[in-house]
Amino acid sequence: MAYDPLSTALKFGFLAVLFLFLLVIARSAFRDLRRTAAPAPDATGFHVPAGHVEVQRGVDAWLVAERGGGLERDARFDLIGGLSVGRSKDADVQIDDRYASGIHIRLFSREGRHFVEDMNSTNGTVLNGAGLDGEAELVDGDTIQIGDTVFRFEAS
Amino acid sequence: MTRARNRELLALIPVALLLTAGFAAVFAQENAKLGNLSLTYGAYFLAVCLATHIYLRIRLPHADPYLFPLMALLTAFGLVMIYRIDEGLARNQANWFVFGLVLFALTIQFLREYEVLERYRYIIATAGILLLLAPRLPGIGEQVNGAYLGVKLGPISFQPSEFAKLAIVVFLASYLREHREVLIVGARRVLGVTLPPLKHFGPMLVVWGASMLLLVFIRDLGTSLMFFAAFLALLYVATGRFSFVVIGMILFLLGSWFIVATVPHVHERVEIWLHPYAEAESSGYQILQSMFAQADGGLFGKGFGQALIHAPGHPRTIMLPAAETDTIYPLVVNELGLFGACGLIATYLLITARGFKTALLANDGFSKLLATGLTAVFAVQVFVIIGGVTRVIPLTGVTLPFVSYGGSSIVANFVLLALLLLVSNRARREAEEGATSDGRGEPLGAPA
Repeated sequence: MAYDPLSTALKFGFLAVLFLFLLVIARSAFRDLRRTAAPAPDATGFHVPAGHVEVQRGVDAWLVAERGGGLERDARFDLIGGLSVGRSKDADVQIDDRYASGIHIRLFSREGRHFVEDMNSTNGTVLNGAGLDGEAELVDGDTIQIGDTVFRFEAS
Repeated sequence: MTRARNRELLALIPVALLLTAGFAAVFAQENAKLGNLSLTYGAYFLAVCLATHIYLRIRLPHADPYLFPLMALLTAFGLVMIYRIDEGLARNQANWFVFGLVLFALTIQFLREYEVLERYRYIIATAGILLLLAPRLPGIGEQVNGAYLGVKLGPISFQPSEFAKLAIVVFLASYLREHREVLIVGARRVLGVTLPPLKHFGPMLVVWGASMLLLVFIRDLGTSLMFFAAFLALLYVATGRFSFVVIGMILFLLGSWFIVATVPHVHERVEIWLHPYAEAESSGYQILQSMFAQADGGLFGKGFGQALIHAPGHPRTIMLPAAETDTIYPLVVNELGLFGACGLIATYLLITARGFKTALLANDGFSKLLATGLTAVFAVQVFVIIGGVTRVIPLTGVTLPFVSYGGSSIVANFVLLALLLLVSNRARREAEEGATSDGRGEPLGAPA
């Protein structure tokens, strides 16, 4: 125990440096928290939160039935909270089409832009006459075809 | 962008300083003299860290600047504490540290496009399960304290669950990336609770069943809890449904309650946890001594090298059993007190925060889920072992990442860090490019 004062000094020195170091890193973490606080209504970017951002902006995008699928012509479905289309009764837009999968596609909005994603459907989706691979951004007037069912996308 | 790397470089300096101070204090205590050996060790450590830093500067210039220094800090903690217990063990640990860094560099070199992992997900999952079950195989399995966690292949023995956790997280991230939609879309509300669709309940039940089987086979509550909690974290991030997490927790509690009641070894572990004084001299000794050691530390601890690992005058009487592995946290608390313990836990918290931030910044589903899963499994592992030695949950044989003695733990956690940095590098690069190209000056607004 001859070096007791030294040992104590080293212990407190160690703790002081440790906490200073952690404080510096924590400060930058808190800065990040403040910066993300505003633009992250949906932290993971996966889910459209139940309306809260989109409703404020107002409805600005619709899926409109053109023909087939047992849907009334010009039936409109708004994109608030995302929209799934398929033959299953769990789908938001249920279509009667024997080429459609249970959940065939889904439409969603992110940061004011709109997308369509093929949900690994068996027979695929046709977007403006070309096959849809994965997801694609939608613009006003696009046509989406599932089997014999045709939709039009409208955005304002 | 080299600013991130400059921050990393600056952050490494205090870490090397801490290691040097720690070694100096241990030397002062043990030899009653201050050699310059502690400076030598500090210089070695700094040199190894600098080499890694330069490698990161070339390979991953955009990656998170603080993850590596924080992990280096944990390693420094571990090296000082293990050196204080046994010089030979510390030398092994230092070798493992260097070997871990080599594997870290190799992972970064060969997995730059980490999406390839998605392609092999079923192979990876199978490998993970085999690794987990390996300790039960006759001939190579090893039983420690009744739990089957180790594998002995000739002269090498390692803990496969450390590597299995990486495999399982990669698999779950990739699986949930593809199937999260069906889990959300088909969900319906029953009595105000959102339930996943019955047919998609399958995967959840499979993972639950697997973690229950794990509990029966390797008899380690901690490992089982670690895997299931990581799964629930991923499920929550993938679906955004808190009810799934609650259902999962209830399932886990029911299942483990049943197994605790039926499997003798697990039952014994829980009994020790609930009534440590019943067998204070034998089975309850470790947990009781570990708590006494922590209480004895006080606010600022007794100083480096002062903790009693062996009873004075009776080198055979061990005061703190398994001090270099299971109870290394109580040893830190005893020597550095409540403040040291808070510093150590804060380090883990900051790593977790950086990890989740990486997940926030990432742009594609697999990256997000991978970063979340890796961070979650790391954080839960820390909880399981610190919770174990503080008697919050039953004590199990999980290591304290980067601090505990053990090659598998160090190496596997460096691979985990490499994957996290790979995700971080891409996410931050894309965020920066997005910020400069549309000139909004908002680096966190992830470009869609």
